[in-house]
Amino acid sequence: MHGLFRWSSKWWPGVIPLVMFWAIAAWTSTEPLEADLAQRSVAALKDTVLDKRRISVAGRDVTLAADAFSEGGRQSAVTSVEGVPGVRLVNDETRLVPEAKPFVWSAERDVVRVTLSGSSPLPAIKGRLMEAARANLGGVEVVDRMNLARGAPPRFDHAALLLLDQIGKLKDGKITLSDTSVSLSGMARELGGREAIAAALKNLPEGFSVAANDVKAPPYIFQAYKDPVAVTLTLTGNVPDKTVHAALVAAAGRKFFSEKVVDNLKESIGAPPGFAEVVVSALGALSRLSTGTLVVTDREVKLSGDALHENAASEIRAGLGKDFPQRWQFKPEISVKPAAAPVDATVCQQLFTELLGKARIRFEPGKADIVADSAGLLDRLIETALRCPTTNIEIAGHTDSDGDGEANQALSEKRAQAVADYLVKAGLPASRFSVAGYGSTQPIANNDSEQGKAQNRRIDFVVK
Amino acid sequence: MAYLTTFYWGWLLGSVLLGFAMGWISVVQRGDGISRKLRWWLSALVAALIAAALTRVVPGRFGYWLDLGLIMFALYLCGCAVGSWLRDWVVSRSAPSA
Repeated sequence: MHGLFRWSSKWWPGVIPLVMFWAIAAWTSTEPLEADLAQRSVAALKDTVLDKRRISVAGRDVTLAADAFSEGGRQSAVTSVEGVPGVRLVNDETRLVPEAKPFVWSAERDVVRVTLSGSSPLPAIKGRLMEAARANLGGVEVVDRMNLARGAPPRFDHAALLLLDQIGKLKDGKITLSDTSVSLSGMARELGGREAIAAALKNLPEGFSVAANDVKAPPYIFQAYKDPVAVTLTLTGNVPDKTVHAALVAAAGRKFFSEKVVDNLKESIGAPPGFAEVVVSALGALSRLSTGTLVVTDREVKLSGDALHENAASEIRAGLGKDFPQRWQFKPEISVKPAAAPVDATVCQQLFTELLGKARIRFEPGKADIVADSAGLLDRLIETALRCPTTNIEIAGHTDSDGDGEANQALSEKRAQAVADYLVKAGLPASRFSVAGYGSTQPIANNDSEQGKAQNRRIDFVVK
Repeated sequence: MAYLTTFYWGWLLGSVLLGFAMGWISVVQRGDGISRKLRWWLSALVAALIAAALTRVVPGRFGYWLDLGLIMFALYLCGCAVGSWLRDWVVSRSAPSA
């Protein structure tokens, strides 16, 4: 031992190369060591959820800066790095993410994009929300303006995912989740969307409630366009159900005797009360126009076009809105079609025959009351009569063979008289018309069938 | 420590070998060694450096370099001790026969 002590006094010269070794070792090993420790520290934090994580290594000292989502998670992160072999010290610069109170998350949709903003509890949930938004809203740009924060209510992610489903049903609007209160505003994309959203909100997780649902339904629109060139009536827009759909198409068929009905209607819920009766009555007014458009938007009826004569225009302007249910509005934009060129008696007769060949003036069964569906035909007859002002016209009534002959005779006269009165009321001089009733004496078809009888029940215009 | 050893074992081995060589030479080297007083001061310096390393007061890279230096120095001393003792043993074995 004494020898060792003695010899050690002569060991110092070796310290000089040792210092050189040390300098070279320090020079060459520091950076690889730091890189290795950084890599090991990152690997150690693989399963720890952190935000804004930064790891820097100086020598064997690791500086860990990160936002943790719980105190436990924060401590666990520091412990994990401290446990990395080779790490001497951990400079703990971690902190907890700020707590949001109230915890507000929102999804806002405009024409081109959906913006997710507010707070999200974890990066994974934030990612899931973005992914769900992109999947639900195929093709729409999704903008992420969410921050991470603590304080989310339990099952926040379930509620937010359900609300993201609803944003797809909006044309524009905003859904806000404030703690456990849900507020919605905006316009539904489709008819029935508002109701679908309200139904879906019933599935919100327990504890969540709807504070305000101000989602508006899109306007309920029905349109009819009478095209005199194509000789069509095109129906587009919405109808409440199959029954109303069939009723409207049938009514259009009765009122528009020469036009082909093009049915592009779609059945959608959300029609205002009284929709069917208003549309039937407005279609009747449209049938009296030479060309025109009917637009029913919610409770507003807009009818524009050209009436066949001045009296018809006044009747439509004044008469249509009168019978509408409460809160319905009628906005007529009716002008009068310029008068057609006069024609002589022969052409006039041809025009009458042609018109009455396409459709018949119809009456209530057994009565001389003209049904409203015949208004369009009568306007055309009046327009024709106006084109041959110098002629006199016999209005001839005919019935089928059912019932008593005298009664039929009387009924045919009354019906012819009713038509003559209608024409006079429309402004034509009474002196031009004579009325004749022929009962069932001049059938044009066999009275054995219903079809034949219907043909025989008719009013003829005979130019004299 | 195990991690550090595996990381730069070559330098540590070099330190041991250097110490072994120095120890081997020192037994038969003539001349004076360092004075007792200086040895005492050097021991105090090394003790202070060890204390600084153990308390981890030197931060970052300097702390690492201090640790590295002390480890290499410790192994150097071990190498010296083993070299000196072995040389002394060899010398003492051959002396009686001479």
